[in-house]
Amino acid sequence: MDLEDDTTILTTLKSFNSFISRPEHPQRLSEHSAGSGILQSQYKRSMELLEAAERVHSKNRYLQLDQEKKQMELSHKRARFELERAASDSARDLEHEVDRNQELLGQIKKLEERAEEVNKKLTEQKEANDALQKNLEGLNKTLEERDDKLGTANQTIRSLKDEIRELRQKIQNQDSKMSAQTLENQELQEKIDLQQRKYQEVSQLCQSLQAAQSSCSDHIIKIKELERRLVFQEQDFAIVKTVKSEVARVPDLEKELKRLRDDNAYLRESRENCSLLKEEVEGLRKKLERMEKTKEELINMELEKEVKVWARSQSELRAELTQQHSKTLEEQKKREAQDALVRRLQKRVLLLTKERDGMRAILESYDSELAPTEYSPQLSKRLREAEDILLKTQSHNAEMEVCLQACINILFFFALLNSVCACIFFLRQKIEDLERERQRLEEQNNILEMRLERHNLQGDYDPVKTRVLHLKMNPTAIAKQERQQEVEALRQEVTRLRDLVRSLQSGGAVGHSQDDTHNPSFSLSLAPSKEVLDLRKQMESSELRNQRLKEVFQRKIQEFRTVCYVLTGYQIDITTENQYRLTSVYAEHMDDSLLFKKGSNGSMQLMETEFSKTLGEMVALHLHHQKSIPAFLSAVTLDLFSRQTTV
Amino acid sequence: MTSTLKGITLKGSAELVAEFFSFGINSILYQRGIYPPETFTRVTHYDLSLLLTTDPKLKSYLTNVVSQLKEWLFECTVQKLVLVITCLETNEVLERWQFDIECDKSAKESSAPREKSIKTIQHEIRSVIRQITATVTFLPLLETPCAFDLLVYTDKDLVVPDKWEESGPQTIDQPEEVRLHSFTTSIHKVNSMVAYKKTESA
Repeated sequence: MDLEDDTTILTTLKSFNSFISRPEHPQRLSEHSAGSGILQSQYKRSMELLEAAERVHSKNRYLQLDQEKKQMELSHKRARFELERAASDSARDLEHEVDRNQELLGQIKKLEERAEEVNKKLTEQKEANDALQKNLEGLNKTLEERDDKLGTANQTIRSLKDEIRELRQKIQNQDSKMSAQTLENQELQEKIDLQQRKYQEVSQLCQSLQAAQSSCSDHIIKIKELERRLVFQEQDFAIVKTVKSEVARVPDLEKELKRLRDDNAYLRESRENCSLLKEEVEGLRKKLERMEKTKEELINMELEKEVKVWARSQSELRAELTQQHSKTLEEQKKREAQDALVRRLQKRVLLLTKERDGMRAILESYDSELAPTEYSPQLSKRLREAEDILLKTQSHNAEMEVCLQACINILFFFALLNSVCACIFFLRQKIEDLERERQRLEEQNNILEMRLERHNLQGDYDPVKTRVLHLKMNPTAIAKQERQQEVEALRQEVTRLRDLVRSLQSGGAVGHSQDDTHNPSFSLSLAPSKEVLDLRKQMESSELRNQRLKEVFQRKIQEFRTVCYVLTGYQIDITTENQYRLTSVYAEHMDDSLLFKKGSNGSMQLMETEFSKTLGEMVALHLHHQKSIPAFLSAVTLDLFSRQTTV
Repeated sequence: MTSTLKGITLKGSAELVAEFFSFGINSILYQRGIYPPETFTRVTHYDLSLLLTTDPKLKSYLTNVVSQLKEWLFECTVQKLVLVITCLETNEVLERWQFDIECDKSAKESSAPREKSIKTIQHEIRSVIRQITATVTFLPLLETPCAFDLLVYTDKDLVVPDKWEESGPQTIDQPEEVRLHSFTTSIHKVNSMVAYKKTESA
């Protein structure tokens, strides 16, 4: 409420102030204007209003202050209340605090006691700490020692590790060697298998050979048997022949018989002396008996021999070969003996026949002499007996001849046996030689097969059965081609570079003027010479530019100089550095000239010349006095011009 | 496909062997550094991490050779495949990887597939490829720039196809030879070996 009143009061004040101020403004503005009475009234009014305002204002202030005072009192009360509360609180707090303080003091005491104890403990601990530190130092030392030991141990470990690594590498090497060796082993085993197979084949071949040999021997035995049979057959054939011959001889014998019978008849007719005949006959008989015995003995021997021969088996032949040989020799001897006997017997037969003829002659003589009838039966008997004996002898003869033939056959047989044995021996030797040859050939075969296999391993092949193929476009061929091409390209580049170097060396000595002539060849041979060409072009263009500039400059200078000459009347030439010679257009003589020198400070100074000596006045006036070179020069020009025109 | 459980046919065997050669040749080229290692990319095959080239010219060359080889394997007319590494400067052969192929020709007449598990074959191929990688330990370094070539030994009566020509055997003189493992698909048997020029021991 008060505040609202305040605000209304304030707003009224403001409006009042504003109202006052408005008339003040016009007052200020129209300071010099008339109407002072109005003004005074206005002024009074305003003063009254002011006073009213002040009063209102003061009232307002008073109210405000009242309010404030009230507020203050309230606040004071509140504050006092609060303060009392606070005081009570603080008193309580104080009591609390005091209690707490006492407690804390007690605690402090306890803590102090504890602190003392703790201090004691601290000291003890410190002592213990010192001891421990000493221990620590000792332990540190031991630690260091142990570290050193560890270090050494580490080194040993490292060295051992290196050793281990080396050993592992060795093991690996050994493993690889082992694997290689196992590979070799396998290879060798396979070879061994091959060899074993070959051995088996060879043994089979041997067995077959042996079988063949046995069959061969069987065949040989068969051959022998067949030959023996052949021999027997030949013997039989021979026997048959003899029998035939005998048979052929039979009619002759019959004829003889007839003749003998006729002789007997003739003898019967005549009778002769008995005693002589008997004695002779007895003698003949004895002789005959002896002959018979020997013949029987011979026959028995031969028969025994034959029996011995025919009784032997085939398998004992080889063993008895030598015996047979000796026996054959004996037999030969016996044969010879028998031949001799036969001859003897034949001779005896001849003798007998002769005796018989003699007897016949005697008988004939007896017959012629006597007429014997007494003797005839005995004689005839004896004759018959004699004839029988004769027949017997003849048959014995024949038998002997047969035996002889048999003997000869036996001998042939023995000879055949010998030859067969020799053949067998010879065949055996041949077999042994062939065996040896076969073994040798087998060994050679093995060696060749080994070599062939080795070559097969290395990649050789039999062109009759095998062919080696590869693709035409294979990597090796392609690589070789590329290499060739590279080499070729490199060679070409090398020749090109050599030519370039040579030309560069010769081109550099000549000079730039020949650059154009060389340029085309350079541009042909070198690709990077483009830069050089560009640079040259640039150079040429810049040179041209330079030349043109020079020409232009010269022209311009010339123009400028002529213009200067024409306009100023002086030709300015630079003779030496900083020296300028001026020649007037109206000069009387050619060498009338003025010489100016540029000083170090930039000012121009006239130098002494012959011509300048004649212009002493003008020099003094214009240069010394007026200090103006253009005036001097123009004066000179005018002077010369006037001289010229007058003259 | 050959990877059926039924067995290996001639065609399947030819494919397996051709595939082995493709991977094997790539491995050799990477190991011996004939081509820079950054031109190879890793693939997984045979349960191994293998490298194949990304160079397009090389790829097309290998594809040509391997496809022709597959045909020849099917006809059983190929005897050997040889990878020859030549030094470009001196033109001499430094290494020779030789793969002998034995083909069972009776598989041509009878078309019955043979009993052999793919796993076994892959295991055998794996061991060969691992050995090829292991050869790095003993093969001499190839210090000069080298190029390679693939030679095929075929029967004499074969018709030479377009783009193929005859060549020499390109053997090394006085080589060191090392035999590697072999593998067989029961129709084709591949024996591997490497021959290299003996380095002059300093």
